[in-house]
Amino acid sequence: MATLSIKGVRKSFGSLEVLKNIDIELEDGGFLVLLGPSGCGKSTLLSIIAGLEPSSGGDVTIGERNVNNVHPKDRNIAMVFQSYALYPTMSVRRNIGFGLEMRKMPTPERDAAVKKAADLLQIEHLLERKPGQLSGGQRQRVAMGRAIVRDPDLFLFDEPLSNLDAKLRVEMRTEIKRLHDRLGTTIVYVTHDQIEAMTLGTKVAVMRNGVIQQFADPQIIYEQPANVFVAAFIGSPTTNFLNGTLEATNGLLSLRHGGGSLDLGGLQQDVGAFVGRPVVAGIRPETLQVAETGVSGTVEVVEPTGPDTMVILNVGGQMLTARLGSRDRPKLGQAMTLSVDARAVNLFDPDSGDRI
Amino acid sequence: MSRALYTAAPPRTVWESINPLRMIGELSETRYWMYLLLLPSALLITAVVLYPTLYGFQMSFREMRLNRPDVGTDWVFFKHYIRMVNDPIFWLSLRNTAIWVTSSIALEFLIGLTAALALNRNLPGTKLLAVLILLPYFLPNVVAGHMWGLMLDPRLGVINDLLMRVGLLDGYKAWFADPKTAMAAAIIVESWHSFPFFTLLIMAGLKGIPADLYKAADIDGAGPLAQLRLITLPMLKTIIAAAVILRVIGLVNSPDLLLILTSGGPGRSTQVLSLYAFQMAYKDFNFGYAGALSVVMFVLLMGFAWIYVRLSKVNED
Amino acid sequence: MAQTRSSSKLLWDVVAYVIMIGLAIICVFPIIWTFLTSIKVDEDIVTREMVYFPTRFTFDNYVKLWFQSSYPTLVANSLIVTGLTVLICLLTGAIASYSFSRFNFPGRTQLMLGYLVVRMFPAVLMIIPLFIVMRQVGLLDSTVGLAIAYTSFLLPLFVWMLKGFFDSAPKELESAARIDGSTRIGAMLRIVVPIARNGLVATCVFVAIAAWNEYLFALMLTTSQGSRTWPVGLQLMVGEFQLPWGMLAAGGMISILPVVILFAIVQRVMVAGITAGAVKG
Repeated sequence: MATLSIKGVRKSFGSLEVLKNIDIELEDGGFLVLLGPSGCGKSTLLSIIAGLEPSSGGDVTIGERNVNNVHPKDRNIAMVFQSYALYPTMSVRRNIGFGLEMRKMPTPERDAAVKKAADLLQIEHLLERKPGQLSGGQRQRVAMGRAIVRDPDLFLFDEPLSNLDAKLRVEMRTEIKRLHDRLGTTIVYVTHDQIEAMTLGTKVAVMRNGVIQQFADPQIIYEQPANVFVAAFIGSPTTNFLNGTLEATNGLLSLRHGGGSLDLGGLQQDVGAFVGRPVVAGIRPETLQVAETGVSGTVEVVEPTGPDTMVILNVGGQMLTARLGSRDRPKLGQAMTLSVDARAVNLFDPDSGDRI
Repeated sequence: MSRALYTAAPPRTVWESINPLRMIGELSETRYWMYLLLLPSALLITAVVLYPTLYGFQMSFREMRLNRPDVGTDWVFFKHYIRMVNDPIFWLSLRNTAIWVTSSIALEFLIGLTAALALNRNLPGTKLLAVLILLPYFLPNVVAGHMWGLMLDPRLGVINDLLMRVGLLDGYKAWFADPKTAMAAAIIVESWHSFPFFTLLIMAGLKGIPADLYKAADIDGAGPLAQLRLITLPMLKTIIAAAVILRVIGLVNSPDLLLILTSGGPGRSTQVLSLYAFQMAYKDFNFGYAGALSVVMFVLLMGFAWIYVRLSKVNED
Repeated sequence: MAQTRSSSKLLWDVVAYVIMIGLAIICVFPIIWTFLTSIKVDEDIVTREMVYFPTRFTFDNYVKLWFQSSYPTLVANSLIVTGLTVLICLLTGAIASYSFSRFNFPGRTQLMLGYLVVRMFPAVLMIIPLFIVMRQVGLLDSTVGLAIAYTSFLLPLFVWMLKGFFDSAPKELESAARIDGSTRIGAMLRIVVPIARNGLVATCVFVAIAAWNEYLFALMLTTSQGSRTWPVGLQLMVGEFQLPWGMLAAGGMISILPVVILFAIVQRVMVAGITAGAVKG
């Protein structure tokens, strides 16, 4: 177990810069999720931490040791790949024990370690099989077994669940969380799935175009997104953005938008400098509720999903999605008013996109 | 006035019903179309492969000498096969064939694998180098044979000269005239000519190995040689097995290169089975015995392929 | 001290270059040496002191070979045989490999295997009966007969290689064309063949090179000037006239020129095709 520190890490392929000045500090036993759309550089960053790819600059420190010039095998890390990367010609037992075999661990000790890992993952009955004879979920477990058997300082997961079907994905997500709670190892986990990020991470780094947009606890990322990109990327359905002008009458803030005025009493931000200027209000669909006062508009689309009903409201030309209860089934074209919890609203600077 | 909803198809003219293009078009919509497509090639293969092969089999049980019509073409049953058992040249050819095939394949495989591994790193300039390295495989046997014949010539061969300059040789050597070196020289020429076949197939196999496996092995601490032994070679097993079978077939069946280089000489030091059978037919016109030799070759090949495939299957479990 | 990843990678890159360049030299040197020999004057070939960098050049060998021997006829015959072989393969083999690629029917696997197994039959076993049969039907010593004989080992290869290229053309396009009113053969000619065009060309080139190079069948099945191909002719000239090295080298250069050019042009597609067929086989 160890801390992980990344300072000023850069990576460029020729003139293409895929990572720009990345800084991350992760505490011992922490679970860091690198989250972002494909092509944001998160997998490259993971490869650099693993030592599979050299960085173009900056420092990676695992524990107290700077590992910039250390071979992957000497970093005492373990990695679970998206494709699992199980050796197809070896049995599950040998796959799991391979890292120990390469480190010349004596056979009895190695067998004991493999057995313990297999026990933990409930794959003991699969030990003599070849990877080709396993289901997707079983392969996933073997890949994790191969990682935990080594008892590494650092676990690296590269989109480990993306090849599983929806049901298994939820199951294995829980399994990974259970393992982390039990083993307490420091983990870096790459994904593009925000649910995985929110459920698993103790820290989340949202990335785009090689830049970390926000690095914080998952709850902070959800409640106080650093910019419009993070606000839009986290949450489903995505955050509503309502354009308007910030006004203050008698010390009470409100947002004047095309469809009327929205009371912002209780806003958690210091926005004094923006009074009288255009702003973007980020409003989560799940904070909207049917009420007498708030924002009003006409119903454009109704999408029942079972537990919820998504309603898209046309508010003076701007679309607002609300996540309402399953019994709220308005008719198309009907007028509707939704209350907004101002404490959950975030205001963004329309020019920079940053949270004010 | 009401209009017909559908206009009836115009009546077929005589030309249309016999228009060959149209007839083929309609034929292509029948259930037997896939078989019709196979028919021409199947007929051709039957005519030029199956029929001659069967003919060859029965020929091996007959007397058949083109230069001696007086002997006739009677059935002689196992006469040729019995002759073979007592024919020292047959046994010598068999032994030479074994040496020729195993040494050539071992050499071709080693060079082919090395080349494929090097090319697979995709370094700058690899594309051009790959073309040059693969080129010999596409050159004609006749030219390959004469190129090396020129280079190994006892009087003006450049290889003799180079070896003498490096000090490996005291004087010019007649490689193909010495029974001790003729086979080795021929194997080198053959390997030069055919190793790219292994390179080609192994390169294709290497492309199919996921890069993640090597990353995982890096983290697991396996060095380059361990990776080669524990990942690359096991993953290439099927393709190597296929390549070896195809090369064995090629080497056993075709006497071309030896025919050009040595004609089996000096003495009979490079006499292989295919060459012996060919000379029996082409020089002695004893088609019956030549047929019997070919049949034995075929049976040996089949037997080898069967055992080989079984062995590589058994190893998988 | 832990070895760093980049330094070991560099070391192996250097090793790879040494191997590749070394092999490339070994592969190309005989060709270059033959070319040098073909443009040397005789005194520089037959000499006590090896001439590595000739200072005198001559095209006499080429001129003599082309104008004073039957080489042009041999080359012409080879061209005809090669052309006929490709034509026969194209006409009968393209539709067969299309059928294997597109349809699933009882006996398909067995038939495809059959097309593969015929490659195991020893050439000698087939040549002798072919000789007898061709003589009976009057095709012995004719370019047509030789081309037909070549299909015995080239047609199965052609079918397998082309199938790989046909497989890579999506089936949906064909279905779409048929729903749009095209017949199966129409869809094949208008949709699949154009998509697989590169593969078709590469496969034809592969077969053409093999036919152009072939020696054993030609030796057995041609007996006269009228149909003899260049490999047989060249080999005969060596035997009969004690062909001087210079002219032999010139003949070799002339005859591999088309091979080298064709290979260089289509090698990428062709290599893909050979390996695809072999991997599946």
